[in-house]
Amino acid sequence: MLRRFRLEEPESVAQASELLGRFGDSAKIYAGGTELLLAMKEGLVQYERLINVKKLGLNQISAENGTIKIGALCTHHELELSPVIQQRLPSLLKLEQNVANVRVRQAGTIGGNLCFAEPHADPGTLLMALGAKMVAAQGSAKREIAAEDFFVDAYETSLAADEVLAEIVVPAPGANARSAYLKFGYLERPSVGVAVAFNLNGANVSDVRIAVGCAGPAPKRVAEAEALLSGKTKDEATRNLAQAGAIAGRAAQAISDLHGAQDYKEHIVGVLLKRTFQAAVS
Amino acid sequence: MATALTRRSDAQTIPVSFTLNGRLQEIDVEPHELLLDLVRDRLGLTGAKRSCDVEVCGACTLLVDGRPVSACTTLAFEVRGCSVLTIEGLADNGKLHPLQQAFIEYGGFQCGFCTPGMLLAAKALLDENPNPSEAELKHFMHGNLCRCTGYKKIIESIMAAAKKMRASA
Amino acid sequence: MQFQKEVEILASREKVWQFIWDVDRFIACVPGCKDAKTVEDGKRYSAMMTEKVGPFKVEFPTTIEVLEREELTRIKARASGADNKIGSRMKIDLDVHLRELDNKTILSFTAGVDVLGKLAALGHGIIKRKADQVLDEFAQAVKKKLEGDA
Repeated sequence: MLRRFRLEEPESVAQASELLGRFGDSAKIYAGGTELLLAMKEGLVQYERLINVKKLGLNQISAENGTIKIGALCTHHELELSPVIQQRLPSLLKLEQNVANVRVRQAGTIGGNLCFAEPHADPGTLLMALGAKMVAAQGSAKREIAAEDFFVDAYETSLAADEVLAEIVVPAPGANARSAYLKFGYLERPSVGVAVAFNLNGANVSDVRIAVGCAGPAPKRVAEAEALLSGKTKDEATRNLAQAGAIAGRAAQAISDLHGAQDYKEHIVGVLLKRTFQAAVS
Repeated sequence: MATALTRRSDAQTIPVSFTLNGRLQEIDVEPHELLLDLVRDRLGLTGAKRSCDVEVCGACTLLVDGRPVSACTTLAFEVRGCSVLTIEGLADNGKLHPLQQAFIEYGGFQCGFCTPGMLLAAKALLDENPNPSEAELKHFMHGNLCRCTGYKKIIESIMAAAKKMRASA
Repeated sequence: MQFQKEVEILASREKVWQFIWDVDRFIACVPGCKDAKTVEDGKRYSAMMTEKVGPFKVEFPTTIEVLEREELTRIKARASGADNKIGSRMKIDLDVHLRELDNKTILSFTAGVDVLGKLAALGHGIIKRKADQVLDEFAQAVKKKLEGDA
């Protein structure tokens, strides 16, 4: 049994922000509950109020003006079914199809996943490599937060206490854009996740973005590894993969835990970097 | 686990009107009630099991509007306006569903603990995709764990049921 | 979990030693620690330790016992507390050394940290990182406080 709480069901972001501002730490946003309810069941957190944000209409997906907008309250399953995601963001489609299990995908939302900022999660890593921006709403005000600035630490984002994550904006990949995400895990949650995105023009690789997640407290871009692949030919970049992988591994800030030792995770980052690059390039 | 909730007079209650195994139910729930406790303790339907309690094993699987959910981690009020199916509602007036029949014929269960969840998940799969490949089946059923069978006969049972259901469709 | 920290302080050993026993100011250097009280001068102290990892907050009413004391050189202490709301216990075995180097003092300590109960569900790795951060901030705060006072 959960401890008793009051349910609030605001019908606008303004109402939701007001409730968050008024009740502070004693209230929490509740979407799919796939992470929050687990923490509550464990007794790790307690709230007097849960603020149901599923009536705010934040579950639209659209493509317009060179951007793809994903409502924060879209479930992973809705992302799987979306023609926009299927056609325009195939690497994200594949990621969403493999989040947790079919029941979590039905209830869990992408916004909830990003905001809970559990280190062992998938979407943040790929969204970072895709250049996504998180749109935070407070009352009627909105601000865009680059993915790199969104994840502060394990279980911590840069959202203000009364902000609601409204949508995720991803630049529409161009004709030469390639991306891939791979994860490794043998427990229920992923242990290591690596995403790459780049432009491939003939044999020339450019605008490389590499993100590493799950191994450390939060997903991170790895500029030093990107530099070894960007502005190179396919073959040159491939020859640099081992070194880039080693750099990315160390940059992951891997923590030794039940998912594996630090050096093991660093090694897996290298392996996944190689495989994601090869998958994206082919 | 309490079978009757003691309510404080100032407790918030939410009226939940939903269809349960084809029948209309109207019930008041408190916000913190979990769907699994509602179904097992207040409605007496104990087919769904509390097993891992962390949404991993699938033993608590229920279908809400045809979608598989982990009842252990779903708040009860979320089924308002929905159609809920438990294992007790799978058979049609005593006539076994083709999936249930197949699980018997092909040996898809041993202790039976995971079976209610397996059957409901399989039903959701076949409702969405009447002709799944084995890979598609495994992907969908990936979140339903079984400690007894080694899964081979579960797969065979579902594939056999699917074939039968397609033939009589 | 074992941690080892060392910090160079531009102050005399006497000054650092004095500071350590000025319980209020010393405890204030531990991030999240407040309400320091002397229960038995030189032997037992109490404080409230609060830490936060994202939405997870812990409050440990903590008892600190001084186990060994070598004037101007060494302190061995044990801090222990329990957060009954979350169902977790915490224990820190602290071994603090002071030594002089030129006109500086090297403050070094080893900390054995144990966290038991529900909090451990967060993951050993996250707790280890947090403990490391707290001890780093603590060492830096002590240095700053001592060097700040002319």
